[in-house]
Amino acid sequence: MTIKLEKQTIEIFKKLRKEDSDSIIASNFAKKIKTDYIVLMSAINELKKHSLGDFKEEEVFQISLTDEGISYLKKNLPERQLLNLMLENELKEIVLEDLLKRSKFNKKLFYIALSHMKSNRWIAQSKATGENKVFLIEEEFPKTEIEIFLQSFKENDKISYNELTKNEKKFVDKLNKRKLIKKQKKTKRIIYLTEKGKKTTLSQIEELSYISKLDTEMIITGSWKEYDLKPFDVSKPGPLLKAGKIHPMIRLINEIREIFLSLGFTEIRGPIIESAFFNFDALFQPQDHPARELHDTFYLDNPKVGSLPEKSRVKAVKETHENGGDSGSKGWGYEWKEDIAKQTLLRTHTTATTIRRLAQYHKNNDQTPIKVFSIDRVFRNEKVDKSHLAEFTQIEGIVIDQNVTLCDLIGLITEFYKKMGFEKVVTRPGFFPYTEPSMEVSVYYDKLGEWLEMGGSGIFRPEVTYPWGIKNPTRVLAWGLGLERLAMLKFQRKDIRDLYINPLKWLREESY
Amino acid sequence: MPTLELKIDRLEKLVGKELEISELEYDLQWISLDLEDINEEEQKIKVEYNPNRPDFASPEGIARALKGYYEIEEAIPKYDLKDSGITLNVDPSVKKVRPYIVCGVVRNVDLDEDEVATLMNIQEQLHWAVGRDRKKVAIGVHNIDAIEPPFLYTAVKPDSVSFEPLHGDGYPMNLEEILLLHEKGIEYAHILEGKEVYPIIFDKKDQVLSFPPIINGVITTVTDETKNLFLDLTGTDFKAVNLALNILTTTLSDMGATIEAVTVNYKTGESIVTPNLKPTKWEVDSNYINDYIGLDLSLNEMIKCFKKVRMDAEKSKKKGHLNVYVPAVRGDIIHPVDFAEECAIGYGYYNLPKTIREGCIGRYHPIQTLANKIRTIMIGAGYLEVLNFILSNSTRHYKFMRNEKNEEQLVQIANPVSKEYNTTRTALLPKLLETIQFNRSEEKPIRIFEVGDVILLAPEEETGAKRKLKLAVATYHEDSGFTEIRSVLDFIMNSFGHSQNFEVQPGNNPTYLEGRYGEILLHGNKIGELGEIHPEVLQNFKLEFPVAALEIDCENFID
Repeated sequence: MTIKLEKQTIEIFKKLRKEDSDSIIASNFAKKIKTDYIVLMSAINELKKHSLGDFKEEEVFQISLTDEGISYLKKNLPERQLLNLMLENELKEIVLEDLLKRSKFNKKLFYIALSHMKSNRWIAQSKATGENKVFLIEEEFPKTEIEIFLQSFKENDKISYNELTKNEKKFVDKLNKRKLIKKQKKTKRIIYLTEKGKKTTLSQIEELSYISKLDTEMIITGSWKEYDLKPFDVSKPGPLLKAGKIHPMIRLINEIREIFLSLGFTEIRGPIIESAFFNFDALFQPQDHPARELHDTFYLDNPKVGSLPEKSRVKAVKETHENGGDSGSKGWGYEWKEDIAKQTLLRTHTTATTIRRLAQYHKNNDQTPIKVFSIDRVFRNEKVDKSHLAEFTQIEGIVIDQNVTLCDLIGLITEFYKKMGFEKVVTRPGFFPYTEPSMEVSVYYDKLGEWLEMGGSGIFRPEVTYPWGIKNPTRVLAWGLGLERLAMLKFQRKDIRDLYINPLKWLREESY
Repeated sequence: MPTLELKIDRLEKLVGKELEISELEYDLQWISLDLEDINEEEQKIKVEYNPNRPDFASPEGIARALKGYYEIEEAIPKYDLKDSGITLNVDPSVKKVRPYIVCGVVRNVDLDEDEVATLMNIQEQLHWAVGRDRKKVAIGVHNIDAIEPPFLYTAVKPDSVSFEPLHGDGYPMNLEEILLLHEKGIEYAHILEGKEVYPIIFDKKDQVLSFPPIINGVITTVTDETKNLFLDLTGTDFKAVNLALNILTTTLSDMGATIEAVTVNYKTGESIVTPNLKPTKWEVDSNYINDYIGLDLSLNEMIKCFKKVRMDAEKSKKKGHLNVYVPAVRGDIIHPVDFAEECAIGYGYYNLPKTIREGCIGRYHPIQTLANKIRTIMIGAGYLEVLNFILSNSTRHYKFMRNEKNEEQLVQIANPVSKEYNTTRTALLPKLLETIQFNRSEEKPIRIFEVGDVILLAPEEETGAKRKLKLAVATYHEDSGFTEIRSVLDFIMNSFGHSQNFEVQPGNNPTYLEGRYGEILLHGNKIGELGEIHPEVLQNFKLEFPVAALEIDCENFID
């Protein structure tokens, strides 16, 4: 009986027969016979089909030098360095403290070197003279076995522990203890010929002749029938398709935009460079409020100041801060300054844009209800790290309506988060300077089995809406959350910066 | 947000009820406290409270609210306040530097270790939350038995008074020296910057109690033995100094001490007695509150809600109205709407029904719709979308691109924490090159695009700048070149129905290679540019293959 094998497989079969070991590490063998690993393994698979060969997986230890080990490869072990120092300076005996000073070693390293010098029987230590002294006790200092073994390494060597002799294993364990060598567990593929494979002679094997591709002529003339078509390994993945894709964050943003639209909300967009007036003052944030300070807000030198809206509205905001104006509030009781409100900055929240929408209310002669939303960039003057960004994306929705209530807000938020896939939503009392009542929102995240804080909400304070002519019983419901928090959960990223530095591997692989 | 550590056994004693951490975790959220951290082993928890509630800055304050929540004790706690007979006179000279002072006396203080820690901590919390780090309010605590009333709060020339400060080096220093040399002086000197006179408190014998807001005199040092305290709270905000004093004295009273009032005699004729623990009365419309929350509570039900949150309430003479009394430790009630929240908390947020209002037809913003249309076109062309920050760095944005930067043309950030960000981008291409640099070891070809905002100075705009939507495209591989990017441009223009309306004309741009650069004109107006990137630019971004790129103002495509 003849066995038909591919040419390459026959070549590899021949080479395998010449090996006398029963456990050949596949990757080493591929290197040895200068064959690609994938080619080798597909040959083994073909041999397996004919029960001529097989492979198994085994755990082996791989050893390599640590950084410290590599450094000693170049400049000797510390005990040898210390010995050389004594020899070069002809110090047959020396006070321990002096040796430490001369060695310029740190204390720990020094004592490590000293103990090895002792165990190598190069030195002795004595306090007989009253001083703690070290003596050389030999004339000749041949290389120790450990040194010889270490030098047999090359910098980037990876050696299989299993293949070492007993003695060598002992040295490795010693060096491992000194953290000069690291042992790593690796799974290796072992290839071998079966009993049948060993018995099969080359005369029983015949080469297959294949074509790998149909050409136009074969198709037209029908000559393809004369050839064997090489079967492909259909289980193997193809090369990476470098296709066009929309960024995961944009996909998430678009999903949320759809939810807003389905709830009847209209998208708004406002300036990124804002005035402190719209970013803070119009939100009833007192001008000495800590949140306005430099370390939280990017203020600008250019453009340095902005202009304010109509005088009557500015006056209304001023009065609200100072004494409550017509809002029924007591106000903050301080003197509000126009100059501070004119400062320009990178908006710290999209609520600035929301307020601009409130400012349109009377100009447009709007009819309630009005529902608007935005998903847009905001800025905080913070140090950037794994969990903080200086620029991020805020999601915000508002409803302007008559006699609209806290219960309406809870209903709306619950519906919104349900559409986002969070079935359980809890709203509880919270605090935001420009809403009253205020609520924190938590949602239950099934995948983690945890409650997560998912943004804030509330009814805009009368001090915020009255200056724009939005007066009780017309009220403004608002809620907002950060996009990045959601994105990190959804995309399972650990570093928030990944969302904006475009690791192509992630962008290419992230599922839709 | 401020946080506070609580020992469960101590809280149990204060509330008068056995407490389980797991139950607390649930219960605390309904009185607007957030459990930050749990230490089961030591039976301790850490809670976060909102900055509008400095009365939560002690276990005593939190216990007060919990007792209301558990219905163990309701309405405003009663405090016994005697008159100490002590007077503090205020000289008008303090108006220029630190106009307000209020005082209190606390007797029979017998604090255990935990209570001493609480007293230290609450001062720190109040300094921060109410006092804006001593600027608005500073607190001084003194051994009253070491000094003799009446006291005088006045302002003096910096070098005219010397005394030995607390935690000093054991000798008297004048006020100027304290600001220059004393640890606390150095820390808080900025509060007095530019003032000609500094505030100071003397006793009858001209001994210095305190140099607010910096440091006390060593003479009034409080030790374990101290039984009787004099408190001074100075500041720039009359409401804030009173609030802090009220919180401090009621907490001490909860610890078992006796509190007494002091007459503060402003020489301008006004004389006040502090602490003033009298609740503030508000007349509130119950319909307004019901309508705000979305409930239909009767007056009696509403009264119950207010009592649970430790306020007092009764029916007023006006129909449908309540008189609500706010305790003197609450500084956050400034508008009738604040009662809507208090009532909702008393009712329990967990009890509130979820209602839905229908109405409104939503629309997308045309710019976002355009951006999505461009994305669809670009992924059809096989390009991968990337997303970058609008914040930018002027060196990489201009110098790396071989562009002269004209500072006047740049948005300039005044105070960036990180030097990485000193401006905002005016073009998308620099960040695309950065993206390629970051990914240069990934499999080629790298074909990427970004649709995003740039910020351009625009003096005609209200805030001096405007945002504009742009598209940039870049291709990076061995064989990238002008022809490839030109095909992309043609595809884009064709997709927008503009294949007959645009042309590309040669031009010059230092970022691109001469002869391989073109300006894109739509109906004769320049809307963008394309070409092969100059090798020096490639080198600046450490790139090894050619890059061909284009950048277009997108807003021209809006119908």
